[in-house]
Parts: sequence; C-alpha cells; structure tokens
Amino acid sequence: MKTVEIVERIEGEAKLNCSWDNNVISDARIDFLNFRGFEFILEGKAPLDALVYTPRICGICGQAHLKATVDALENIYENINEKLEVTPKAKLLREIGLNIEIIDSHIKWFYMFILPDIIKLKQNDLGIYQPLKGSRWLGASKTASETIKSLAILGGQWPHTSYMIPGGVVTDPTLLDLSSMMNYIDTAVMFFEKSVAGVSFDKYLDFDSRDDLNILSGDMKYFTNLAFENSFQKIGTSHNRFIALGESSLFKTGKIRQRAINKLDLSKVREFTEQTFTIEDRANPKKHTWSKAVCYDNNFYETGPLARAMIGNKPFIKELHKSFKDSVFTRVMARMDELAHLLDNTKSLIKQVDISEESYIKPKINLKDIDSAKATSVVEACRGSLYHDIEIEKGKIKKYDVITPTVWNLGPSHKEQKGIAQKAIIGSKSLDIAKIVLRSFDVCSVCTTH
Amino acid sequence: MTNNKKPTVVWFQAITCNGNTHSLLSANSSRLELFLNSFDLIYHPSLTIDKSLNEILESKDEIDFLLVEGAISKNSDFFTISDETTNVLLNKLTSKAKYLVAVGSCASYGGVHAKFEQNDNVVGLEESLDKKSTKNLKHEIINLTGCPVHPEWIIQTLFTLNNFGKMAIDEEGRPKELYSTLAHHGCTRNEYFEWKIEGAWGEKEGCLFYDQGCRGPMTHSSCNKILWNDVNSKTRAGMPCIGCTETDFPRDNMLETKKNIGIPFEVPTGISKRAYLSITGVAKTFTIDRLNKKLMD
Repeated sequence: MKTVEIVERIEGEAKLNCSWDNNVISDARIDFLNFRGFEFILEGKAPLDALVYTPRICGICGQAHLKATVDALENIYENINEKLEVTPKAKLLREIGLNIEIIDSHIKWFYMFILPDIIKLKQNDLGIYQPLKGSRWLGASKTASETIKSLAILGGQWPHTSYMIPGGVVTDPTLLDLSSMMNYIDTAVMFFEKSVAGVSFDKYLDFDSRDDLNILSGDMKYFTNLAFENSFQKIGTSHNRFIALGESSLFKTGKIRQRAINKLDLSKVREFTEQTFTIEDRANPKKHTWSKAVCYDNNFYETGPLARAMIGNKPFIKELHKSFKDSVFTRVMARMDELAHLLDNTKSLIKQVDISEESYIKPKINLKDIDSAKATSVVEACRGSLYHDIEIEKGKIKKYDVITPTVWNLGPSHKEQKGIAQKAIIGSKSLDIAKIVLRSFDVCSVCTTH
Repeated sequence: MTNNKKPTVVWFQAITCNGNTHSLLSANSSRLELFLNSFDLIYHPSLTIDKSLNEILESKDEIDFLLVEGAISKNSDFFTISDETTNVLLNKLTSKAKYLVAVGSCASYGGVHAKFEQNDNVVGLEESLDKKSTKNLKHEIINLTGCPVHPEWIIQTLFTLNNFGKMAIDEEGRPKELYSTLAHHGCTRNEYFEWKIEGAWGEKEGCLFYDQGCRGPMTHSSCNKILWNDVNSKTRAGMPCIGCTETDFPRDNMLETKKNIGIPFEVPTGISKRAYLSITGVAKTFTIDRLNKKLMD
C-alpha cells in the first residue's frame, strides 16, 4: 500500500510519500515541490545586496543567513589577502543577534509546531496549549515577541534586518540598550523557569544525568510523559551520525560517526542532485523534489541541536542519548535544552560587550572593485548548520550556493543511503507518528528548497 | 466585547519566506491577544489545527477577511500548494471573501520573488485575480506593503475595516493613514539630515541618506512613527531604509547612495533637485558643533 500526505503546519509545505507493510511504514520519501530560486536571483547582483536578499530566504532564520553572508563576504577579503579587522564588539553583537533569533525559533517550535500534534495523539482538547487561544500558547508567543525585542534593539527590527556588514555592524548600542536587551532575555529565562522546565534556571543548567528527568516539572515534564506514553524514546532513530559545521562561543564544530572528530574539511561537503529537479529539467519523472541531498565525505549526517549537544559535550543530552539514541524524544529534548544554554550564553555575551570599541571599521577595498574571488562560510542556525558559498567576478555575484540545515536533515536519499529524516520515519506505525518524526527535525520547506 | 459572531479571518500563504507570519507573531503581545480575541482566525497553514485548507475551500461559509502572504504564480512547475497553483487557490478563496488584504510586498506586487526571472509569472494579488472572483469583495484590495509588513499595520487595518467598513487608500492600494508619510518622519537622525551631516556605519550620529543608501526621504511608510517590535526602527539603529514598502523594491545597490558629482542622484520626494541643492548649499555653510560631536563619549 502507498499513501501520500501533505504536511502542513511546518514552515511551508512538504509531501510525505509512504509505503506500508503490515501497517508499518516500510519506505518513505519526502518531497519539497516548491522553489523560489534565490541562488538564481542573486546572480549578477552587487555583493552587498546579498545582505538584503539572503535573510529573505527565510522569515525565521534570516539572521543566520545574514551572518553567513557577512562571513562569506569577509572571507572574500581574506582570500584576496586583505583580511578585515573586525572588533570583538562587532563580533559579539553579531553572535548575540543570531542567538536571540534561535531562542525565538526554539520557543515557537516547541509550542506552535510540536506540542499540539503530540497532545492530539491523546486528546482533542488541547487545553492551555490550544493554538491562538490557550494561555500557555499565548504565553509562549508573548515570550518570543518580548525576546525578539532585544534583537530589534540591534537591528532596528525583526524579521528582516541587515545590520551586519563586512567590517562590523551598523549599530552602536549604549549601556542602556544592552541593559534593556538583558531585561528582554530575562523575560525568556523566567518563562523557561516557570513554564518550560519548572525548575530554577541554575538548577536546570546543572542537569547532567538521566535521573534529572525526574526533577523537571514544567512542559518538558509534560512532554516527557507524553513521549514515554507514545514510545517516542524508541522511534525516529536515524543514522545516529551528527555534524556541526559552524562554531561560536556556545557551539563546537565537528562530527560524530563512531567517534567524535572536531576538525572538518569543508571540501568534503558535497551536494547531489540525482533526485532533484533543475530549472531545465523540472518534469523528469525520475526526479521528485526540489531539495538536493548533502553529504559529508559521502555520508549523511544529522544536524541541529541534538548534533550540537553531542559534539559540544552537553552532559544532560549526552546522557539522554546514551539511553534513547537519536530518537524523537532526545531530539526534542536537545532543542529545549539548547534554549536554556542559549539564554545563559546570550546574557553572558551581552555583558562582554565593550561599548567603547568601534562597531565598524571600513574595508580598504570595495567589493565592487574585486575582479575575481571565492569564499565559503558556515554558521549554526536554529535548525542546524548553514553553508554559504559565493563567487564574485568583476565586482558582481557570479554564483551563490546555499546549503541549509534542512537539506542535511530532510534531503532525499543518495545512492543506497536513506536521507536522515527518511530513515527516521521508516518504522512509524501511523501517519500521525510519521509526521511527528518529521517535525522533530524542525522542518522548514522554504529553507530546504530556497 | 459583544457576543456577536466574530469576523472570520483566513491567512493564505503563497510564495513566501513566512516573514510576515513571524512579523505578526512578533507583534505587541497584548495587541496580538486582543486581535485573536476579536477575530476568528480559522485558518493559517502554520498556526491553526482545526481546519485544513481543503476544508476551507470546500466550505460554503464566507470569509470576512482574506489575508494573503506571498506572491502568486500560475506556473505549477515551481510552486503549488496541495497540488494547485497559488493562482487557482487565490481565486477560489477570493470568491468567498468580503475583504482582501495583501500582507507584505510579495502579495502586493511580487516583491523579492518576482526577481526570479526563470519563473516568468510571479506577481501580486491584483494582477492574478479574475474579475469573476472579486465580485463579492466589498472593498478594493488593500495592499499592506513592506518586507515584512509591520504587525501593527495589519492589526490596525483589520480593526479599522471591521469597525468602519472602509479605509482611504493611495494609488498603490495602501492605506493612506499608514503610507502617506515617509519613513523619514520620526527618524531620530532628522536633524543631521536638515544640516547635511553625513553618517557612517556603526555610529549613532549622522544621516544615512548621503552615503549608505537610505531611502527614508523617498519611502512611504510609518516605520519611524509606529516603532518595530515596540522599540526601534532600522534608521534609528543605524541601518538605512531600503525602501521595502515601494513597488521598486528590491532595487540594485541598496546599501549605497547613487551619486552624481558627489550629489545624491535622487532627492527627497516632492522637492526639486535645484531647490534641494540650494538648501544643501546654505545648510552646509553652518558648522554646528553639537551635531558634529559624538553624542556620548
């Protein structure tokens, strides 16, 4: 038996094709059928205009795209031996901005995208978690909108600001600004303590064993109970391989196959298109999705908060992984755990900003005067590793390639290997469960196909 | 709040980055809650769970307010939703609607997505609607331009239409109350503009019109009157206005000012170039220490 299901309530839409055997999904294929052509749009544009375009690839992770673009443009300077001087202040303000966006995304993902589906498995009345109406849903939405104010202080607005530019940032916050930012982050810390984890923030940050699950009392506890009732600790397992391309003060670069390796060779990151439509070939029956497949050294790796926790040695999640592997349960817990660490890290980064430093140091060379250069950048976005690759010729963008986290997790199979989410879905006993497995990766179709 | 039936709202997503959805979710939380209490948002593809798009399409019920995020295309090779083109779905939904609101620049005129030339059919609502589909509309299409649109502009527009049934709109279909003034109005850097003191990236002082490409004096929007996320605007923070509420967005070279012999190629809307140059000449003869100094050391 075969079924096709359209998956809504992700960012955009995906189509899930399942084959069934004895009421269990025996094979799955995920199709992303929409394409907006950002890489084509960027061709021929002035390099700085990419700072305006790439954040618009995605309304929820635009700052990750902005940071990837600014890093790629600064790497262009480095590759022509004109390395730019960027002050610690500017670097901090960029990292803070990106962190805040991930915080916003994680809160929305848990309450708007994951919880309603899981609760619905058991009951129709979602109670306080009811979208648009429930007090907790509204509380989460309020927390996200309060938190994002701290990014608006830097960027003037969110979504869609381009406050990072080669050489620094456009903004010059005062101490009062930084203080307000801390206040907004504290709103999220309070929400985390009262509602998400139900334990004091400091106590949560010390979590390092499976037994700490028993201390939880908030929505993470509620989720844990529902997860165990539905065996989410056993479903959604994939290749159990992890990768994080980018690094920051919180995230470490590396991969784990059998053992952890912290040095990556970016030339081993390759995209494959056997199953991917192209502009010229979009009616080919052998092809079924606009998403490419991406591998590191010819293998699929999961990217995202679980991968970051594994590579960054986050004790609580590593302990959960020891018991429950790369399951739906561990994946969801990793994202919420990361929320706590991001809040803690962001507050400490804000404290480190020295407002007496320059925000911006002007590059000696204009990107429009560069005859020919290439560069790559990697950053950690909400959903995992984001890769940008740019080529400039005669002062204009000749080629721009973007590999988003969702391509790592949700791309099609390659040769004999199943894609990460594809493999995770196989074995699900119902479409509702399959959709939850899919959602555990934080699906964004707009990013996947861009 | 009365017990009257709440007006229904359907939010349709076409070719988009979901930026307007996240803009709405980032609205002032009391305002968002009031909006959700006062209207019945029966469908949003990422937020609601009670009804699917197909159920909305099959239902005979009227839609009071149809909000559309994203550009529209007839081309099924690049973009479909539930196996239909965005054009077909838009027309079906519009034929049920009383009010049609384009949320954001993509829905208004194609926006960023219209720059994808390989899909030669990416447009805004107005261009993609059949006459037949619009016959039940009680009002001209309202275009809330902006990339994204300010969440408060969405909320104010819906409340105004619901309370008064109409809004004055400009020749681009935008509510005059939100788009008759320029982004320049309320900019905290205006004094620097008046006295022609140039700004630089990463500084609190100076005007971004002269070098950084700021379109504040040519862009119809109320970004500096109704602050973003309650706290700021791009130009206040130090980022130039990139003119995202105008139909020529996105333009080329958005982060620099096009100049001719050192003079901005385009001058503020409504001012002749000659008048602008005369005023500039006079203003530049003044040296105002207060404005040439750092605001804070």
